Amino acid sequence: MERWSPRVELVPFRRRRLAELLALSDARGLGFDRGELSRLRGYFAHEGRDPTDVELAGLAQSWSEHCSYKSSRAFLAPAFRDLRPRSRVLGTGDAGVLRFPGGGAYALRIESHNHPSAVEPYGGAATGIGGILRDVLAVGAEPIALTDPLFFGPLDLPASEVPPGVKSPRYLAEGVIAGIRDYGNRVGVPTVSGGIYFDPSFVVNPLVNVGCVGWLPNGRPVPNRARRSGDRLVLAGGRTGRDGIGGVAFASKELTDESGSASRGAVQLGNPILKEPLIRASLEAYAEGLVAGVKDLGGGGLATASGELVHAGGFGLTVDLARVPLREAGLRPWEVWISESQERMLYDVAPASVPRFLEIFRAHDVPATDIGEVSRGPYETILWEGEPAARLRLAFRVEPPLLRRRRAARPRRLRPTPKVPDDRLEATFEELVLAADNVSREGVVRVYDHEVQGRTVVKPLHGVVTSPSHGDAAVLAPVEGGRRGLAITTAAQPWACQEDPYTGALLVVEEAARNLFSVGARPDAFSDCLNFGNPTDPHVVHDFAEAARGLADGARALGFAVPSGNVSLYNGGLGHEIPPTPVLLATGIVDDLARATTSDFKRAGDPIYLLGSSRAELGGSLWARRRGLRGLRLPSAAPVPLRRLGRALVRAMEQGLVRAAHDVADGGLASTLSEMAFGGRLGFEVDLAATGLGGAGVALVAEGGSRLVLEVPLRAARRFEATMRGVPCLRLGTVTDDGGVLRWEEKTLAGVDLVGLYDRWRGALGLP
Amino acid sequence: MVRSKLPIAILSIEGTNCDRELVVALRSLGARPEVVHLKQFEGREVRAADRRRLSDYAALFLPGGFSAGDYVRAGAILAARVRAALGPELEEFVRSGRLVAGICNGFQVAIELGLLPGRPSGRLGPAEAALITNDSGRFECRPTFVAWDGGRFPPLRDLPRGTRFLFPSAHGEGKLVLGGDAAARRRQLEEDGQVLFRWVAPDGGPARYPWNPNGSEGDIAGLTNPQGNVFGLMPHPERSFFRAQAPDWSRSASFRGWGDGHRFLEAVVRHAERGAA
Repeated sequence: MERWSPRVELVPFRRRRLAELLALSDARGLGFDRGELSRLRGYFAHEGRDPTDVELAGLAQSWSEHCSYKSSRAFLAPAFRDLRPRSRVLGTGDAGVLRFPGGGAYALRIESHNHPSAVEPYGGAATGIGGILRDVLAVGAEPIALTDPLFFGPLDLPASEVPPGVKSPRYLAEGVIAGIRDYGNRVGVPTVSGGIYFDPSFVVNPLVNVGCVGWLPNGRPVPNRARRSGDRLVLAGGRTGRDGIGGVAFASKELTDESGSASRGAVQLGNPILKEPLIRASLEAYAEGLVAGVKDLGGGGLATASGELVHAGGFGLTVDLARVPLREAGLRPWEVWISESQERMLYDVAPASVPRFLEIFRAHDVPATDIGEVSRGPYETILWEGEPAARLRLAFRVEPPLLRRRRAARPRRLRPTPKVPDDRLEATFEELVLAADNVSREGVVRVYDHEVQGRTVVKPLHGVVTSPSHGDAAVLAPVEGGRRGLAITTAAQPWACQEDPYTGALLVVEEAARNLFSVGARPDAFSDCLNFGNPTDPHVVHDFAEAARGLADGARALGFAVPSGNVSLYNGGLGHEIPPTPVLLATGIVDDLARATTSDFKRAGDPIYLLGSSRAELGGSLWARRRGLRGLRLPSAAPVPLRRLGRALVRAMEQGLVRAAHDVADGGLASTLSEMAFGGRLGFEVDLAATGLGGAGVALVAEGGSRLVLEVPLRAARRFEATMRGVPCLRLGTVTDDGGVLRWEEKTLAGVDLVGLYDRWRGALGLP
Repeated sequence: MVRSKLPIAILSIEGTNCDRELVVALRSLGARPEVVHLKQFEGREVRAADRRRLSDYAALFLPGGFSAGDYVRAGAILAARVRAALGPELEEFVRSGRLVAGICNGFQVAIELGLLPGRPSGRLGPAEAALITNDSGRFECRPTFVAWDGGRFPPLRDLPRGTRFLFPSAHGEGKLVLGGDAAARRRQLEEDGQVLFRWVAPDGGPARYPWNPNGSEGDIAGLTNPQGNVFGLMPHPERSFFRAQAPDWSRSASFRGWGDGHRFLEAVVRHAERGAA
């Protein structure tokens, strides 16, 4: 380039030593490592010039861990390659798109907003919701459901144990929940699933994962790539400001005691009341066939979105940054290029369609601006008022080399499985039911609107209206009056993954499948958010690779497609390491909504069955965690038998042979049975010896073996047993009018006052 | 049965997000609901083909949601914009006896417009009541029950007083407070039959929290104007339109069929059809 815009700065780069370049990279918050700087120096030496600040800013976005997946991709691609069958998966873009049996398609995606939420919980969580909505909108889908698995330090952590510069778990939890509430409710998308997990390892770095499911009535996703050169690039939505500058660099390193003050500017400001009409206008433009390609503006802002949109189509681009509508005057071109201001989308629109496109957005009071065009490539040309500000070979910018991270297994020494006492069963029962990880989430569920849009047929809380309890999944009716349902659930087991990331990940997939079976759904797909620590630690890399392998093996065995996912690394800091935490947003298909099943006991006198083979191992269990027992053997995973069991169960449900179902997870049978009784305002009498385990204590607390507890109509018991032939299925006991009775064969060991326990369980969480 | 295609406008601006379930419900009742952006009434920045006149509709529904974000008092901004854009037309619409319904945020808007509790003249005016922050201090989404108060609302004339409906609630600002001498004003509304619904417990008894989810005086959940053609309520009949939307449908093995919202909205639509015929 002969002449650059006077608004850009040329950064001295050539003939500089790497140490100087590293200092420069740090001073500008670019986050390049030595290898990358050397590569950049070579590129510009070949070009015979120094880079502009706009070029460096754009490169820094695209080469960040957050945008490039440079540490993780080498492990993900081979693991998940075969889990996107063309017969079911219609799209693998910003969100995965799955064919919905009987017509239409749905989109799903889950991702993290961990670091922003650690620094600014309300805004971080709110913009997390905003971002995941855009991902789903960016494949042409209408957002119809949100989910939000959250991981915090213990709420009662003494202030003295909160490290300096870190916000207290309660402050974080309240802020995050309020942020999800205020964004999700205002934008009018129901929050139907989620989870709240507590562990001291999340004190410094809480995890805030956000998932979204969308609906495509015509079943045709909009591509995330440009269609032809000469098409216009139209930026729509919010104005661009200085918020969220360098957000991806912030997300691509560990937290420190200064993150709160130093990185506050990397957190964006959300505006749900702009997002809502942006969604409406976009859906109208899609429906009229005006959009050839689309990309949402998230991490890395316009630089990332525009580069990926046109590069995916094999094109280049020309954009004039001075045309971008600004919230405040005086932004430098590089700031406009990478700002992560919220509520923005970029569209590829054919020139002839631009007037109608702009008309739709104007009618909804949503700003939309033609900022440039798709060009032939291979260059991107960024202008400021018509004068050059950047000119890079686009492939060089958006395809950074992958990193080959070193991996090493953690040394492990298993401790023997301890003996669970068989006496004082009432106390053990109450302890597990009233543990923070188990108590009712009702208070939180209720501050989220989980019914807006009117599609929620099985709600996040199950049971009689005066006595709501936990269910395993929500079920939506995506099509008005349709027979089929879409079940949505969340699964995570950080403690199991900490003991063994491969088996732990398998167990997470099993949990997702069980949750779906439990409401009468066949597993269909999941999207994974992989929350891990610092990838420069070979142990973290090994954990990551093993967990990815476990998820993929689990998906293969249980019939899940895996069309989309997200990786969040560098979680941790100040000596706190998070457990390997893969989190799933999983979906299943309910063939007949009228047969969808809830967790609450329905009728006294009905038999209770236990499905699955009980396992005595206690690794990762709530009982063990509460005793500080780590390093225990995990119950082995068995996804293939689970698939068989699930098929038989769903078949039984379709024949009306199951009245209630609930999976056995955190807190073992104690938790499962109490929640089923709570929801029905009924009781139970069970024989713990039916588990086949060695004692009543372990039978009450063990979680393994991928089991479910069922209530079967008394008169259908024989037919039910015949349907379940060939899968492990034992009579455990009977639904009663009230109270919980635990027996060992003929001997009564304990009686629990469930009415009193329900009131304590319901009110114990103390959130919001 | 041949049904008239009653034209109903569902008013929208940014944040009026409960329109989908309302469209589904009204369409199921044989009406012709149309989501109309306020700008389509104003004729501002829309194609000629997209312009609409309020007088072309037989009923106006103000839907639930968070109009303009509700960052100030809920409903206040939309009310101000409606007043500016449609004031005289809306007064004429109300005086002609046509139906205006406000659900949740729409109820808040109707109160802000002075349409409810309303004046004998049918004119808009300053608000005479307010729906303030729930006693719990927060937004809550939960099943609630209301009972028909046997008032002057013609669509429900044939229903016995005390008839109970399961309508879910989802709001943060629903506590009705009346201006002036609140006790006297409430007595008068009761005497004049302007109390549409009261919150009740699941067994029909008096509602304490959470069955009165917001702490509303006298458990009032909905009001009508003196003429009975404008009504508003906090809970969402359009979200319990189908039996399958009830939180406990799986306990009675009755997935198919109607929910309580159907019973109410059907009465409203049938009444409006008779008026429009």
